[in-house]
Amino acid sequence: MNTWNIFGHDWAVEMLQQHVAHNTLRHAYLLTGPSGVGRRTLAIRLAQALNCQTPKAPGVPCQACRTCKQFEAGQNIDLMVIQAEAEGGTLKVEQVREVTKFLSLRPYSSPYKIVIFLRFQEANPNAQNALLKTLEEAPSHALLLLTADNAEQLLPTIISRCEILRLRPLSVDAVTDFLAARGVEPGKARLLGHLSGGRPGFALRLSADEKALAFRTEKLDDLRALLAARRRERFTYAEKLSKDKDIFRQTLFIWLSYWRDVLMKASGAALEPTNIDRADEIGNLSYDIDRPQARAITEGVEKALDRLDKNVNARLLAEVMLMDWPMVK
Amino acid sequence: MTQALYRKWRPLLWDEVVSQEHIIQTLKNAVASNRVAHAYLFSGPRGTGKTTAARLLAKAVNCLNPDVTHRPCNECAHCKAVNENRFMDLIEIDAASNNGVDDVRELKEKINFSPSQGTYKVYIIDEVHMLSAGAFNALLKTLEEPPPHAIFILATTETHKIPATVLSRCQRHEFRRVPLGEITRRLNEICKSEGLEADTDALNTISRQSSGGMRDAISLLDQLSSTGGKITLELAQTVLGTATSQSVIALVQAVIDQQPGSGLDEIHRALDGGADARALARQIVDYLRNLMLVQMGNGDQVEVPADTRAQMIKHANALTSSEVLRMMRAFNAAATDPRGGWSPSLGLELAFAEVLELPAQAEVVSAPRAASRTSAAPAPQAESTRIQPPISQTPTKITESQPKVATVTLEQVTKAWKHISSLVKAKDTNVAALLNSGKPIEIREGILLLAFASDILQEKFNRPESLDLTRKALHESLGVDLPVQAVIIGSKNALPSHVKPDGMVAAANQLGGEIVDIH
Repeated sequence: MNTWNIFGHDWAVEMLQQHVAHNTLRHAYLLTGPSGVGRRTLAIRLAQALNCQTPKAPGVPCQACRTCKQFEAGQNIDLMVIQAEAEGGTLKVEQVREVTKFLSLRPYSSPYKIVIFLRFQEANPNAQNALLKTLEEAPSHALLLLTADNAEQLLPTIISRCEILRLRPLSVDAVTDFLAARGVEPGKARLLGHLSGGRPGFALRLSADEKALAFRTEKLDDLRALLAARRRERFTYAEKLSKDKDIFRQTLFIWLSYWRDVLMKASGAALEPTNIDRADEIGNLSYDIDRPQARAITEGVEKALDRLDKNVNARLLAEVMLMDWPMVK
Repeated sequence: MTQALYRKWRPLLWDEVVSQEHIIQTLKNAVASNRVAHAYLFSGPRGTGKTTAARLLAKAVNCLNPDVTHRPCNECAHCKAVNENRFMDLIEIDAASNNGVDDVRELKEKINFSPSQGTYKVYIIDEVHMLSAGAFNALLKTLEEPPPHAIFILATTETHKIPATVLSRCQRHEFRRVPLGEITRRLNEICKSEGLEADTDALNTISRQSSGGMRDAISLLDQLSSTGGKITLELAQTVLGTATSQSVIALVQAVIDQQPGSGLDEIHRALDGGADARALARQIVDYLRNLMLVQMGNGDQVEVPADTRAQMIKHANALTSSEVLRMMRAFNAAATDPRGGWSPSLGLELAFAEVLELPAQAEVVSAPRAASRTSAAPAPQAESTRIQPPISQTPTKITESQPKVATVTLEQVTKAWKHISSLVKAKDTNVAALLNSGKPIEIREGILLLAFASDILQEKFNRPESLDLTRKALHESLGVDLPVQAVIIGSKNALPSHVKPDGMVAAANQLGGEIVDIH
């Protein structure tokens, strides 16, 4: 745990703290990394560090005063949080126009007016373009914080106007310790640490949700059963799976991590599998499925995930994907 | 808040604009000879100086300096006003936020008033590609014949989105990417004036990373300088997420040695060490590009230390240029693909696995039926020309027998067919019965194809024993070693021999589909 009470990303915290303490802040930051890695938390802490009335040290927010609590809850009058209406939705140009209007006024109580854009990769091209001029030469009292999965999803003109902080996934051990410190029992902490792929936020969400783990077990059992199943059963399953797009997406994520493990195992890499509790099963499977096959399947699942968001026929998608899987008894 | 370096260092004089001489000279001459056009279009990649040039032009036409060749002077009242962003007659419009017809109409209403301070009213319309079609059309008449005191400067990164009618009304200037050396030189200048200490290697890394965009480069310098200390190569690598060149070399070596395990471990080691997956993929592409240059005999253009060069030449000799190209494509996709939110490293891992497969596949196509069905399964395209070998042990025998194949024709086989079936009957009556319901139809690539009416018969016949028996009989009768394969013909559900029995086509067929044509 570092001075900003954030788990991991010490280098980023250190740097931002210096910026705040020495008043060398830039007007726009882009925080990238996989979801659940701590992008939003970092953005909020930066806002707190700038506005805290009783800082513990220069650039270290107290997280206890009124202002800090307001920022934590996203309630401060000089803070604006912009995001698509739902995960997987679209951030629209009207929302960006509101930001321009918001920034044209001076701050009310804080030294800065802060805008946080969450999941900016969901902004459509028009919205991104509308932000360009503001992003390039923002008023001196403005601070823009953008978060996205990775920089390549945004317009190159957006990226070149921001200071980019690439937050990387933490190590599995770090996340395990993090969970253990929060009272998760060690065995479960270790499993969740692996499953999270180094994303503490994601691991925490998973540990709080009892159903999530059961769902995962069910879907992995399904996967194994599907490999031995005949075509007719696969078609039936595809139909069932494609009914709910959200569940479909989550299932694909679980399967993707599983197939990646098989690929790693089949290639002979020393990496510990993500699905650590299924290590034996994955080991066995890697004898039946060789590397090129494992790669083709992994890529197939990844492409399916991508296409799912492009509004294709979900059932057809599931069928095509499952038909390409080999038969393994 | 301090101003970002790229804003602070925006050029204020013509001569400060880096490596766009072809444009700057034209504009300078136009101002000096008082032949400034009424509409300009500046286009080019990000960070090459479009907005800067537009502001300089606006300043120059309004400058009060008596010597026209010295405009802008940065000393007169107007120049100062422009620099401080308070000049009334410089109107900068963000076309991305004001992209409707109404915004253009508002502009038209105001344009007829004479300038309040300077000689010209200058409209800079930035990101002009975002104007709606209606807005563009509303602008056409004004753009063609604006009042004498108005100058339009349109700036965009995407010229292809501008209608031809607008293009033809403007003087077009294409901005170029800034060369690597020029960026490094400019960064050095900035470092000196800002009192920053920086290694040349670090600055080179920054310039390479910014791919010709000056703003990208200065932003990165800004980011590195904010840590306070000296800018070293290590610091640059940490912040940019680039890996050491050793990791890249080890990865390429793993591809050459066909070592999937060690290659993937290398990737994970680099990522654990703080490298960014995409940055690493870009570095690999860079390295491969250098390999290609070495292969094509342009090795002198590659600027690397001597020991790396020796390694590079070794690699360049170990790979063919088509392999290098394929690898570049795969890793480039990993570097630029916007997908991959779940696990940043996945794209890179898949690209690596793909690269390992490709050479193997190329061999499959050239060597006749050298691979068994399972290994070729994920690549149906490679299979379309081949017939499925019935069982896995036949392929080796086929290759042995190939030289003799040409001596037998289908006619000879048909003639000797009765004899052959009697030979078989002497050994196994069941197989002979099966043989009687089959019919030799073709000798394709050294294999005798026997046609059966149903898949049950075909399956029964396709057992090693019966195939072997028939083969022996053929050998006895005709004196050649000719492998046999059973195919189905005539029935409704029959599959052509080159269709994979577990593929999509077969599945569709099983569900009642009908084959019309196969390419």
